[in-house]
Amino acid sequence: MVRAWRANRILFLVLCLLLCLALIGLSRAGLLGPLEELASVPLNLVTGVMNRAVLSLTGGVSDLTRLQTLQQTNAALEEALAELTAELVELREIARDYERMAERLDYTSTAANQEFVAANVISNDQTGLRRSITVDRGTRDGIAAGMPVVTAQGLVGRVLEISANASRVLLVTDRDSAVSSRLQTTRVQGSLRGQLSGNLRLTLVPPGESVVVGDLVLTSGLGGNFPPDIVIGQVASTRQFQFELFQEAEIISFNNFDELEVVLVMTSFEPVDPDVFDDAAA
Amino acid sequence: MGPWVGIPVLLLAVALQTTLVPQVRLWDGGPDLVFLCVLAWSLRAPLQEGVAWAFAGGIMQDLLSVAPTGQSVIGLVLLVFTVNLLTQQLSRTGLPVLALLAGAGTLAQQLLVWLLFALQGFSVDFLDDLGYVIFPTVIYNLVLIWPVFALLRVLQQRVEARQIVTA
Repeated sequence: MVRAWRANRILFLVLCLLLCLALIGLSRAGLLGPLEELASVPLNLVTGVMNRAVLSLTGGVSDLTRLQTLQQTNAALEEALAELTAELVELREIARDYERMAERLDYTSTAANQEFVAANVISNDQTGLRRSITVDRGTRDGIAAGMPVVTAQGLVGRVLEISANASRVLLVTDRDSAVSSRLQTTRVQGSLRGQLSGNLRLTLVPPGESVVVGDLVLTSGLGGNFPPDIVIGQVASTRQFQFELFQEAEIISFNNFDELEVVLVMTSFEPVDPDVFDDAAA
Repeated sequence: MGPWVGIPVLLLAVALQTTLVPQVRLWDGGPDLVFLCVLAWSLRAPLQEGVAWAFAGGIMQDLLSVAPTGQSVIGLVLLVFTVNLLTQQLSRTGLPVLALLAGAGTLAQQLLVWLLFALQGFSVDFLDDLGYVIFPTVIYNLVLIWPVFALLRVLQQRVEARQIVTA
């Protein structure tokens, strides 16, 4: 009797493991898509409500702790505002000159007239090994896979998976994320990759190029995955070893990825699929 | 009734996992609440009930992650079978056994998830992941297994009492 139960238990375990492997295989092949979408609806609903509650709670607590530093920050900001106002006037003049010249050349910028869909963040990836968020907008709202996701502070990531009413966004801080970038002042180009620590690293920067701490990092538009000139972050430090072919820079994003509440999906941008050219060449 | 109780409990655990846990991460590791719930429940529940909890919890976790559905279930199923085997051998599960199961079980579950990510071609770095994600998660789970176990034990006793009354 005991032996039979043990044999049954081993069989039960093997069946469970085979079922898990079948689920993984079907999920990776995309065959579970409709079922996953259906099952995600109540989950997204609950996590959405919970996320708003948690963010308002943690926001309230952190607001209290930040109150002391707010006065100092306010004074510093007022000084900066005075300096920036003068700079703004100068830049507006330059912009007007640029517009006049662009009109003469009949040049149209792709960065203008972008369309966005605002989406609430409803959950973060539960494994510490990956970095993604889920937002409450999907195909019904005109969102498609590959669309860039931004906030007023800069680039957040791109839409990876999508259902009718939700989308999963791969953050730029994920290790599988790579963004073609350039520095604002020196126009030096590189590839921005996510790190496990949640930081960003600019890699593949040629060794002779100047990388200045404090310089803004923008998307370059190369590769066609992101439109050009979206702010990603700021250079925090640089490093170059003698034996390495490229130099690297640590980049700090202006976004706090753990406290994202609302993001904007750039629906007017269609990412380019370079595989089309490979297929054509083949 | 046990497996059905699991749905709201695990739903709450997954919701907290994806909303509250990112706010309290130690490096990149946070408590694995679904793992803790499955472990705590399967200590006193029949094998089939524990497996049902493992499937429900694992699938819910994977639906809110970039991981394919089923990835988190494997480790949870193995955990339930191990717990079932151990509880049959031991007369009672005291605090040391609970700590051992929480610590070793979390380590095994995290390493399995890491391995599955690596096999699927995701970027992974063993030493970094071990230091920044896996060990902090083990520490968190070692601490949180006591309150989770105590809470679920109360719930389990109530469910059992209700089953006796209805029978």
